[in-house]
Amino acid sequence: MVEKLPGNFDIYFWNFVILMIFTVFEVGAVFFETVPGTDIEITLSVVWAILIGVGIVKGYGIAAYFMHLKGDPRVYTRTALFPVLFVLLMLWGIGLSNPGAVTELPSWCTPNWDYAKQR
Amino acid sequence: MSGGEAHVENSIWMRAVLFGGVFVAIGLLAFATMGVGVANVKHVAYEDAMHEYEEAKYDYENAKANNATDAEIASLKTAKDEAHHHEIDAHLSYLTWRTAGITILLMCFTYASFIGLGGFLNSVFPDDHGHADHGYGGDDHEHHGSGSPIVFSLGIMLFLMGFPSFQATLGNMLSGVDANLGDLGVSMLGLLFVTAGVANWWREDLPFIGNHEQIATETDAWFAGEHIRKAGLWVFIMSEVMVFATFFSSYLRMRTEWCTQWQVNAGNENCAAVDTLTASDFLRPNGGMLDGLGGQGDFMTLLPGAINTFALIISSYTIVLALKTAKSKDWVAPTGLMGKLMPTKKAAVRNYLIATFLLGSMFIVLKLVEWSHLVAEGFTIGAAGTTGQAASIFYVATGAHGLHVFIGLLVMLYLIFKADTVGYDEKNGQGIEYFGLYWHFVDLAWVVIFPAFYLY
Repeated sequence: MVEKLPGNFDIYFWNFVILMIFTVFEVGAVFFETVPGTDIEITLSVVWAILIGVGIVKGYGIAAYFMHLKGDPRVYTRTALFPVLFVLLMLWGIGLSNPGAVTELPSWCTPNWDYAKQR
Repeated sequence: MSGGEAHVENSIWMRAVLFGGVFVAIGLLAFATMGVGVANVKHVAYEDAMHEYEEAKYDYENAKANNATDAEIASLKTAKDEAHHHEIDAHLSYLTWRTAGITILLMCFTYASFIGLGGFLNSVFPDDHGHADHGYGGDDHEHHGSGSPIVFSLGIMLFLMGFPSFQATLGNMLSGVDANLGDLGVSMLGLLFVTAGVANWWREDLPFIGNHEQIATETDAWFAGEHIRKAGLWVFIMSEVMVFATFFSSYLRMRTEWCTQWQVNAGNENCAAVDTLTASDFLRPNGGMLDGLGGQGDFMTLLPGAINTFALIISSYTIVLALKTAKSKDWVAPTGLMGKLMPTKKAAVRNYLIATFLLGSMFIVLKLVEWSHLVAEGFTIGAAGTTGQAASIFYVATGAHGLHVFIGLLVMLYLIFKADTVGYDEKNGQGIEYFGLYWHFVDLAWVVIFPAFYLY
């Protein structure tokens, strides 16, 4: 288990603080239409980028430090990664390969479905 | 008594029965104050607001019918809209207190029956002085495994087999329709098996003080040298990942078909107008509107979900603190207020677990309050068009997550009981670690669910 950073910092405490800050950032990205104090618009793409980016950081923080994958034998990380292939297949095969999608998904999301653009 | 495990008198289980009594008292008190007292006051305010709205609506319709001036009609329309908003606020306020009171009552009764019944079953067992192997082995015994999970699984199977009749019969009983109590039989038998399995599991684990933890000994196996319980838990968590992946891929599948406010705002040429409302349209500011529904979100509607997110993160930290304290070899009591709350290591571990338990319980209460608001605002599986689909996948995914939180809370009841009796230390603290892995996974699942369902 990794518990201390150099300088006697408690890794769990700082992981907790970072998770809290990133959650505030995540909620703020959706709550505001423009960056507070400016006219800079927070577009859909920016919201996506923030939600996915923050999700990855928070997921890493929880899995690596709270669940001790960083510091535990590698076999646990490999176990955790084992279902990733199946999850990706499900997200692509069921989630994104949708012939009825209205979002003009890229062609790799709608393989050989000519009716993909009809609605 | 062997030195390989703690000797636990069966009478100590009566403390679990006492815990159950405390939960019943808390549940009744919360229901009486929140679900009845405050809720009734709020209901009176709601009825007043309804009456004011009806009057404002009548004045407005009357003015239109009598050809009043445009200025008068506009003024009355503003008054009517304000009265309508006031009525909605009063209704949601009533629902908040009523739902919170009922939820706490039901949760406390479930806690009480779970810990109380399990404790009672173990307390009536005769003490078995001199036999040290309750499942985790004495000094000289290898661990022989436990049959409790099999009994538990059989109970779950029976419960689910009888569930269709069980829920239909309960529904009839609640709505005053004649019900055949025999239809509850299979599920009740299942619950009996579940209780017996869990009680026996506790009985085997309570004396465990860290000796003879099972270790994978096959030298070329994946988990060689690792604790079998930990490896098993990770494999279980991976199966849970697949469960949540099915919800998420189903959601993606549906979501790519919907013309939501996001799609309209992004200028998607296939989406001229909004055709689906998602939960986030009811919860976040500037959400979409359709047929008079949605679009009323603000800071307060987003607040329960945001508080729950913080609650889960904090609870992940408090369970880490419980583990750290248990594993610490040189723990020193803190000073000041924290010192009074945690005067000993045993009390510190127990109190960190109680803090985690309270945060998890708050999560469930806020979740159901939020659901009651969404249903009242029309976000139901019976909603018109694809909004009904959006509601269906929302309630299934967030409900499955909430169920995982609640099951975790039931397990945590036992951890608190053990922390208060036998105690956790650096030798047997892995019990908290293994439960913590599950609890962190529940937090991890929320990391995906919260932005996908509440924010986007």
